[in-house]
Amino acid sequence: MSSPILDAFLSMNRPKVIDLVQNEIEQGTDPFVVLQECQAAMEEVGRRFESGEFFLSELIYSAEVFKAISPSLEKKLAEYRDERDSLGPIVFGTPLGDIHDLGKNLVITFMRANGFVVHDLGVDVPPEKFIDALRETNAPILALSGLITPALLSMKEVIELLKIHGLRDKTLVLIGGAVTTDLACRETGADRRGADAVAAVTLCKKHLESMNARIGGRTLAATRS
Amino acid sequence: MDRFERIKAAIALDVPDRTPVMPIMSAFAARHAGIKQAEAWRDPEKAFQSLLYTFQALEHCDMLARTNMMFPMIGSKFHNAPVRHRIPGKHLPEDALNQIDEVELFSRDDYDKIAALGWNGFWEEHYPKISGRTMDSLATKQSHLLNIYVKQVKVCHEQGIPVLVGVAVDSVLMAFSLCRTMTNFTMDLFEVPHKVKQAMDASCDDMIQNAFETLAVTKIPFAWIVLERGSAAIYRLELFEEFEWPYLQRYVDAFVSAGVTPWMHLDTDWGGNLAYFRQLPKGKCVADLDGTTDIFKAKEILKDHMCISGDVPAATLSMGTQKDVRDYCKRLIDIVGRGGGFFLTTGCECPIDAKFENVKTMVDMVINDSGKV
Repeated sequence: MSSPILDAFLSMNRPKVIDLVQNEIEQGTDPFVVLQECQAAMEEVGRRFESGEFFLSELIYSAEVFKAISPSLEKKLAEYRDERDSLGPIVFGTPLGDIHDLGKNLVITFMRANGFVVHDLGVDVPPEKFIDALRETNAPILALSGLITPALLSMKEVIELLKIHGLRDKTLVLIGGAVTTDLACRETGADRRGADAVAAVTLCKKHLESMNARIGGRTLAATRS
Repeated sequence: MDRFERIKAAIALDVPDRTPVMPIMSAFAARHAGIKQAEAWRDPEKAFQSLLYTFQALEHCDMLARTNMMFPMIGSKFHNAPVRHRIPGKHLPEDALNQIDEVELFSRDDYDKIAALGWNGFWEEHYPKISGRTMDSLATKQSHLLNIYVKQVKVCHEQGIPVLVGVAVDSVLMAFSLCRTMTNFTMDLFEVPHKVKQAMDASCDDMIQNAFETLAVTKIPFAWIVLERGSAAIYRLELFEEFEWPYLQRYVDAFVSAGVTPWMHLDTDWGGNLAYFRQLPKGKCVADLDGTTDIFKAKEILKDHMCISGDVPAATLSMGTQKDVRDYCKRLIDIVGRGGGFFLTTGCECPIDAKFENVKTMVDMVINDSGKV
């Protein structure tokens, strides 16, 4: 279904998206409706990436557009929106020994655009901080990103710590980044590897769907809080 | 065949006596030799000794990629983007891996200035502003490091050890992407492509000239071209054709004409671009893959045209078993190495935390039956 915002997203026109969103807000359109339009556009970008029509560059561009319009929408939404409206929380970070964040930031934007609340712990994150964040947020998903092999050893350490703290069975551990091969997934003890931002979002959605199915259709956030 | 002859044969698509092998190493060697990363960064001689020690311990290696940790910094002027490095012992813990801290080095507004002044003219004006250093102090430092490098290369050659990097030069796209950050550069390509293009047009010859100035000092006939961000994994082919390919062709033409082998270091997935590489001179270049490109498909595309180097994945070397390494290398040698034109190397750099027995297994694969071409 076509809309000016969708068209502007798909033609990679940042100024136009910003103008359209601003106009909608000024004219009193429900900010949820505007947000949903933007989210639908991001989902379409993801679909076109999966089909090979779009490339990583279009994901990067769209993510930047989404980040540019988010502050004005968030301001409007903040008054009556909380985590219960979201798909669910995710804890995300680049583990100890690795300071790279390009891939992480891109995936986080796509997760947020798809309705997840992402708790971004940043880069070079010590293992204990992931445990603390999972406890504080009750997030059922932990995402770890790495560009260099020291990050793999840190991922393994984080996953061991999850076991010690009794969180392993409750947490889907998703890894991604340049060095994360299938072998790395197996050796770190992670559950899945997200090959790219769109694949990572799909894995998270599927996990939550299966969780929700197990708990009888109640929303995840309502159940865990 | 000696090492030099074996490497030459592989690149020329002739059949060597066995597959040549090279773990591309620096941090791994320091750790294996028992010195902290910071020590290796502070003292190029210690780094060099760690590389020689590890090279000998691995026994059958054919080449060292470089002689110490300073690989991105050797050279005159700017044939690499002057990125900010996080150095162990200075910005990072003593035994951590060095990393690039990618920050914006010039703004979108600077494209016009680059277009007017050229790459070198721009940096002569801009570098002191962002670094607080004078160009003279930079030149002195670079010259000092380059002299150390040349002396170490001489020692290697006296021991019959070839060294790969005569110069490390970023592709034009790579340099611009690093200077703007990948995200900002991507936004620029969509929003001000004509400005990017004009600035690149004004930079390419300077970067080639800078590379030749370094080659004149090192006298090593290999140009390591850093190509990590122009692939079809990132940009559609129309963008590749406009912002990467024409400049890469100019690099390759210039180097090959001067008898220098372009060693194209292709990180990320270049599968969608490799058909273009058949337009480059036959038997004169190396396509160095990092484990992301499907190397077996690459062989089908580049067979009988270009030597392929690669691509034992970092994760396999650091977390896999010797069997994992053996099985993967056997496939590489049997399939990619068939008929020659193959150089067994690590996918990008040998990881700092690779298991020594895994790297040794990789190297040993070339001397058992599987290593025969």
